[in-house]
Amino acid sequence: MTVDRRDFLKYSALAVAATSGMPGFLARAAAQAATQPAAGGKTLVVIQLTGGNDGLNTLVPYSNGAYYAARPNIAIPRKDVLTLTPDLGMHPSLKPLMPLWESGHLAWMENVGYPNPNRSHFASMAIWHTADPTQAQAEGWIGRVAEKIGDPFCASNLGGTTPQALRASEFSLPSIDRVDSFQVRLPAGLDGAFERLLNLPREGEADYLGRAARQMVANTREVQANVAKYRPGAKYPEGRFGLNLQDAARLIAAGTGQRVLYVSLGGFDTHAGQRAEQDELLATLASGLAAFQADLEAQGLADRVIVMGFSEFGRRVAENGSAGTDHGQGSVMFALGQGVKGGIHGDSPDLENLADGDIRYRQDFRGVYAGALTHWLGLNARDILRGDFAGPEWVA
Amino acid sequence: MPLPPLSRKLSAEDAAHLLRRTAFGATDAGIRALVGRPAHEVTRDLLSFGDERAPGNPFDPSSAATPGAGIQLTRAAWLYELFYGPHPLRELLALAWSNHFVIGTDKVRNVPMLTAYLGLLRRHSATTDFARFTLEVAQSPAMLRYLDNDQNRKGRPNENFSRELLELFTTGIGPYTEDDVREGARALTGWSFEGGRGNQNFLQEARFLFRPGQHDTGQKTYLGQSGNLGGEDVIRLAATHPATAPFIARKLHRALVADEPDPAAVAASAETFRRTHGNVRAVLEELLASEHFYSRRAAIIRGPVAFITGAVRTLGQPKLEAKQILTLAQTAGRMGQLLLEPDTVKGWDGGREWINDTTLLLRMQVAASLTTAGTAPKLEAQPSDLALLGTERSPLAGVTDGLNPKQRLYLTLISPEFGLA
Repeated sequence: MTVDRRDFLKYSALAVAATSGMPGFLARAAAQAATQPAAGGKTLVVIQLTGGNDGLNTLVPYSNGAYYAARPNIAIPRKDVLTLTPDLGMHPSLKPLMPLWESGHLAWMENVGYPNPNRSHFASMAIWHTADPTQAQAEGWIGRVAEKIGDPFCASNLGGTTPQALRASEFSLPSIDRVDSFQVRLPAGLDGAFERLLNLPREGEADYLGRAARQMVANTREVQANVAKYRPGAKYPEGRFGLNLQDAARLIAAGTGQRVLYVSLGGFDTHAGQRAEQDELLATLASGLAAFQADLEAQGLADRVIVMGFSEFGRRVAENGSAGTDHGQGSVMFALGQGVKGGIHGDSPDLENLADGDIRYRQDFRGVYAGALTHWLGLNARDILRGDFAGPEWVA
Repeated sequence: MPLPPLSRKLSAEDAAHLLRRTAFGATDAGIRALVGRPAHEVTRDLLSFGDERAPGNPFDPSSAATPGAGIQLTRAAWLYELFYGPHPLRELLALAWSNHFVIGTDKVRNVPMLTAYLGLLRRHSATTDFARFTLEVAQSPAMLRYLDNDQNRKGRPNENFSRELLELFTTGIGPYTEDDVREGARALTGWSFEGGRGNQNFLQEARFLFRPGQHDTGQKTYLGQSGNLGGEDVIRLAATHPATAPFIARKLHRALVADEPDPAAVAASAETFRRTHGNVRAVLEELLASEHFYSRRAAIIRGPVAFITGAVRTLGQPKLEAKQILTLAQTAGRMGQLLLEPDTVKGWDGGREWINDTTLLLRMQVAASLTTAGTAPKLEAQPSDLALLGTERSPLAGVTDGLNPKQRLYLTLISPEFGLA
């Protein structure tokens, strides 16, 4: 696999020289990477819970009276909580993840957030994507990983649209909607003309579209050359999230070489009737992740993949008048996999000392990212996060 | 300073540019008909639309058997109007407004609510009164449901709509505080709707209802104004706030001029918006007849709906089977633009966000289905380079020479040049 990969990179670098299909810095880096062996073959899967997942009803402080007082209608009753510690337990919908907890491969990070929290979904999500609470950066943190590694194919999104996290300065990393349809099928007789069309010299946005198309051709070729190797090792739940996770497993098993894969699950903006909505979403999350983990084990790849999950913010401690919750600040992150040090990292939230009705954050999310970058991907987190951030030792 | 008007009469390439931007594209004949006319006169004609609709629309959402079918039919009926309707600019603006005052069919699953919302967007597509438009949207059952304001009650506020009203619909982030969000929510308590609730009642009409018993009548301070403010006050204060003018002006430039609007030109449009008290029609009349508008060619990456509609209109509006139109509505969704369901309340960001490997592959599939595939529609005439690419001399000539007409059309539709407006 390593040899294929290096050949591909070499090929990419040559193709770049011929067509300048990639931004210059990547072309240079790809040429460099072609002479270095791929590092370790480890993959980080990032799970985005879009809409602001309520952390308190995810990792429930079931021994805390203030929690039940603030949420007379939507608190998770103590009897339903999946007990993890004398104070904390998981939402019952997360039951498929219990075996991972018991084997020490599920971690929860408590009170994660960032300074001067922004309650706008979009501003807050951009902060998580760019790893920049000042909102000055346009590039995503995974885009910067790609620049660092020097391979435009080292990270991919599974799904229709590319999140900002995967944006680099001059381009976006691939989004693969479905692996099966990720291939160019030209009407007969147009191969040569198609190539000439893509290679016409252009300026401005037309040049951008031309480059994107050339990159797409290279990406689809890379994926299709490898994916036939995969045989599913688990049954995934129905729905988009399960399909995306299965495609993630498939890319990993096929050895297409991505170091970071990105999958989103949306709908967490639970302003009204939260229990019904979030209960179902967490069940989707847990059943999908459990299948993904079982699949990796069946493929013999479980030691090479870890999952890290986040949401743009948590929700207010007190429920609102519609049995829902409005936008809040700090929340929980989770991580799972054989390379994860299971357990609760950080203290339970202090519900007596709130900031504007919200949980105060104690752990900057960039410290959690740093763990994955340094200890899993073997990269210099400082370069990517543009600063030093301490975090829990959640990578084993 | 208003934007300087275009002084010359429209050339063929000017006319092609105008119709790419305001009508998703047009045939050679449609373009030639505008040549030699003054820009301001053509603009006024384009903007004078009534409520005329495409004849013979085969999709009737009110005949649906389930909520899901009702939504599919609503989307397909809109796509039909986009393809064949007599007022493409009205539909283009309605699409832009659906990306501003966002609702989504993930929550709004009642057919009359969706139909009424779409009717509202069409009626106000070139509104003369933005504050009135905002108020009608805020009181539409679709919006009350989508952002939960129907659940916003005295003493138990739900902030969802109040926040997005400021952040996304009027001022944009910056000019307001968290207190304004809270106070706004208090003022909007009691705004609800009756009818059309629950899956069973997906065909039942719904209407706005003020519930006085659930309204908070106390003192509030909102955007610097204090008093016993009600929902109408909050909408008016937000919609007429000085920051709203540039926010809306920029959206109009995004829809019609460039993915990366020119700040000075946006400021000029904002000034017109302020001076005319939120008269969007006046802003558009000035903008679409300006030198600035004609100087920014190929500056918008066509979104999925604009790409598909542009292809159909440029090919001379060939007749497509109902099933093909339903499929195209779904395909636009897989390309990232499911009508009436943006991914989030912020709407589609557009521009380069429309472009990734998957969407490029789908554009190729759509182009094949309209040109080389066995099921491709029959064309009455071959579109000219002017119609397809907006220029009289095709930059693709060296590539398409020697291909048969279908192959030439296919390659042109997937070219970067066709992908831009």
